Amino acid sequence: MIAFWLLALVLIASAVFTITARKPVYSVVGLLGNFVALAIMYLTLQAEFLAVIQIVVYSGAILILFVFVIALLSSGVKPFDVGPDRLPKVLVPAAIIGAIGLVTVVFSAVRVPSPAQPSVAAGTAGGLGLTGQADVFGSVANFGQQLFTVYLLPFEVTALLLMVAVVGVVLLAGDEEPARRRGKTRAQDREPIVKRQEPLIR
Amino acid sequence: MNPMNPSFFDVPIENYIALSAVIFFLGAVGVIVRRNPLIMLMSIELMFNAANLALITFAKAWVNAAGHIFAFLVITVAAAEAAIGLAIVVIVFRRSANVDVDEIATLHG
Amino acid sequence: MMPHTVLGVDGTYPVLFLVWLLPLVGAIVLWAFGPQLRSLGGPIGAALVGTAFIAALFSWNDAAQIKGSVSGAHVSMFTWLPGFAFGLLFDRLALIWTLIITGVGFLIHVYSIGYMAGDRAFARFFAYMNFFVFAMLTLVLSDNFVGLLVGWGLVGLASYFLIGFWFERPTAVAAARKAFVINVVGDVGILFAILVIVSKIGSIGYGDTFAGVGHAFTSQELFIVCIALFIGCAAKSAQVPLHTWLPDAMEGPTPVSALIHAATMVTAGVYLIARCAPLWTASAEARELVGVIGALTAIGGAGLGIAQWDIKRILAYSTMSQIGYMIMAVGVGAFSAGVLHFLTHAFFKAELFLGAGIIIHNLANEQDVRRMGGLRKQMPFAFAAIGVGVLAICGIPGFSGYFSKDAVLYQTLQQGHPWLYAIGVLTAGITAYYMFRLLFVTFFGPYRGNVDPSDLGIRHPELAGTPGQAPKLEHEADEHEHHGSEHAAHAPAWIMSAPVAILIPFSIGVGWLAYGGETSPWQTFFAPLFPAAAPAASGAPIGELGSGLIVLLVVAVGIALAYLRYGTQAALKGSVERLRTETVRMPPVLANAYYFDAAIDALIVKPAAAAGRFFGQFLDPVVIDGGVREVVFSANWFGHLFRSFQTGLVRAYALYIVLGVACFVVYYAAIGTGK
Repeated sequence: MIAFWLLALVLIASAVFTITARKPVYSVVGLLGNFVALAIMYLTLQAEFLAVIQIVVYSGAILILFVFVIALLSSGVKPFDVGPDRLPKVLVPAAIIGAIGLVTVVFSAVRVPSPAQPSVAAGTAGGLGLTGQADVFGSVANFGQQLFTVYLLPFEVTALLLMVAVVGVVLLAGDEEPARRRGKTRAQDREPIVKRQEPLIR
Repeated sequence: MNPMNPSFFDVPIENYIALSAVIFFLGAVGVIVRRNPLIMLMSIELMFNAANLALITFAKAWVNAAGHIFAFLVITVAAAEAAIGLAIVVIVFRRSANVDVDEIATLHG
Repeated sequence: MMPHTVLGVDGTYPVLFLVWLLPLVGAIVLWAFGPQLRSLGGPIGAALVGTAFIAALFSWNDAAQIKGSVSGAHVSMFTWLPGFAFGLLFDRLALIWTLIITGVGFLIHVYSIGYMAGDRAFARFFAYMNFFVFAMLTLVLSDNFVGLLVGWGLVGLASYFLIGFWFERPTAVAAARKAFVINVVGDVGILFAILVIVSKIGSIGYGDTFAGVGHAFTSQELFIVCIALFIGCAAKSAQVPLHTWLPDAMEGPTPVSALIHAATMVTAGVYLIARCAPLWTASAEARELVGVIGALTAIGGAGLGIAQWDIKRILAYSTMSQIGYMIMAVGVGAFSAGVLHFLTHAFFKAELFLGAGIIIHNLANEQDVRRMGGLRKQMPFAFAAIGVGVLAICGIPGFSGYFSKDAVLYQTLQQGHPWLYAIGVLTAGITAYYMFRLLFVTFFGPYRGNVDPSDLGIRHPELAGTPGQAPKLEHEADEHEHHGSEHAAHAPAWIMSAPVAILIPFSIGVGWLAYGGETSPWQTFFAPLFPAAAPAASGAPIGELGSGLIVLLVVAVGIALAYLRYGTQAALKGSVERLRTETVRMPPVLANAYYFDAAIDALIVKPAAAAGRFFGQFLDPVVIDGGVREVVFSANWFGHLFRSFQTGLVRAYALYIVLGVACFVVYYAAIGTGK
């Protein structure tokens, strides 16, 4: 119980810090805090594998990516230059809309009746058990078994998705120098192979 | 109350949902309010995580691994999306003076 | 071939079509070829009408025949729908009207050849006159109400054409429009009556309608039909309150006034009532109303006649008054007296107008009697003509008007209407007064044509009591010998005086047809046509001779008053001052024609104009056009609105997305709680 409220506090604080920080690097740090707290919360929810994945992938890879891009774009340590604000005074309407959505979701979540007793009894394979035990709900073994048997197709599709992403990134941010060095790419822009000779005798 | 794992965690499910909603809408407001594209992308990551939290909460409530699987795939997709998004941000803002999404409003009506 | 069937074998009367359609042929030919025919148009028009008159004379026997319950010559033309059978009916009543229309019409056509000579649109005038004759014949020859209404409307149209003949003059155009609009009001009345008749009887023919009077109508419905028909009569015959067009109709040429607004068109109402006698005999309330309105018109017209200075307007009001007599007569049931008065009136009124036309023509379109005077020596023929007409209209014994007017008044008394009788007698006196006033002022005393108009009090149209001055015409350069403003009046051309000369003996003699009371030729000819209206139970308090004496007495008083005011030597010598005084002191009520024009203007014309302005300046441009424009603007506005969403800013689009999400969330939350 205490863990939940503590973690909730950290999550919300870090989220607010992320979205309000002046410099992007600060936001990255805030986001890191958010991810770690979230991983611990997953642990309280018996999602052991996902907690680890959260830390490894999210805070380990994605945040690093963010940091690299910040480094790429920034000219130094001073904040990024910004142009005039084209959409001033948007905070209040956004906050109101967000509050409406939030209140509605919370309200309906509170009103929904609790789910019924799960059919899988405690102690069995895939059932509930202590955290850390193998082959209980949320363990790595259980997760892997579900992923590679029941949900094999989504797994394969996701692999494809990742490949597409990689290809896309390479294409998007690829080096454009070689195209320039190689010369004109369009056929009509290239030089003819045989040049017209000037007549020797006029 | 939920018949959950007999442990000393006894939090009703609504709390987790409420928390997920709070983080989600904080992320949404962050996308709208901030002008730096990197921070906008980070806010989007916040929203992904809020959704993941909700998924995992429900997975625990129903003792159904599908929630975990789904959350795993969401993380994957979020990673791919972050990669491509950042690549686009790099291309667009590579040589511009201002790193400000308001400057690339060429699709205006 | 039997003698009367020179016109056709039993049941077919081809000559009738000749009577009816010849003027139409004339109208079409003169319309189409007017510019080419030029001055031939007059003789052609006159000849066609004259031929129609002769054809009508040939049809006399057919018209006068009575076979069983059917009288006259009946020709069916075609049946449009069951119950809508169109045909021609030529019985004694129609015969009288047809003879007047074509006979007097022919004389007036001949007269017009001289009067309208040199006019720019000479042939067009005769086209219109022929068209009028055709329309009037349609009216009197139809055997059904719809044919009557067609003729009614066409006659109104012809009147519009002819009143506004000199259309370059705005007063003429306004007068024509006024006459037409008021006539249309009458048309609507008759149409309404036709609707009621068709719904009750199922047929438009006279025979069917009159046969069904006893059983097909309730008394309210009969009253409504009679009143609706009478609205038409009132409009056409210038009865109160639809009379205001007749004085203004004098804007037309004098032959037009003579033919249309004295002899024939304005008597169409009398014809209608006489024709629908069975309807009126069955509805006592309608008869009361008609009698009262006729009497009111008679005295009203006479009252206004004493205040007029335009010679044609004096005659116009006298027409209105005399037709009031006719309407009163046929209203109370004295049909033969009323029609007799129509007959005599046609002759002497036409003669009065044509004589006045001679004067106007000779004095270069001077119509104000204040600027005439002493014309007895300069135009003796005109004096003779108008003198005979004045004696006839006053009902001086020996002249035709005496017989008819006495018959009208005495039979009114016989039918039990002492008040109407009293009004009629009083009117006779007033008529005598103003007609002799006309005579004295115009023909006696010094000539005032070269007196400055302001000395005579002709300063402003309001003071004078008659709007505007005499018309100034555009004559062609090759006009004949009549000159512009010289007052040397000379004898009229024979072509104008011959028709007037023919009319004089008729004005004297026609009335003698009624000599002998019940056994007179007139009664024997006419009475079989009408159900005998029984005299009221009270009978007449005085005998016919006594009534005649009373009328004569009142007339003599009127003549004496006129003589004392206008005819004595002293009056004649000081005529200039006397006329000026009278002009200035004319009571405004009389000068403004009892304010009828003002009332109609305020009650009907102004609201209608305001409504027109409302529709034209507000409703149409602002509401309707504005509505259309607003559609355009709103399309534009919506376009701008939606365009404003496309800012191109990512953040704005993100906001819209979040807004959509919030809407979804709220929606599903609301739906969810419903389960």
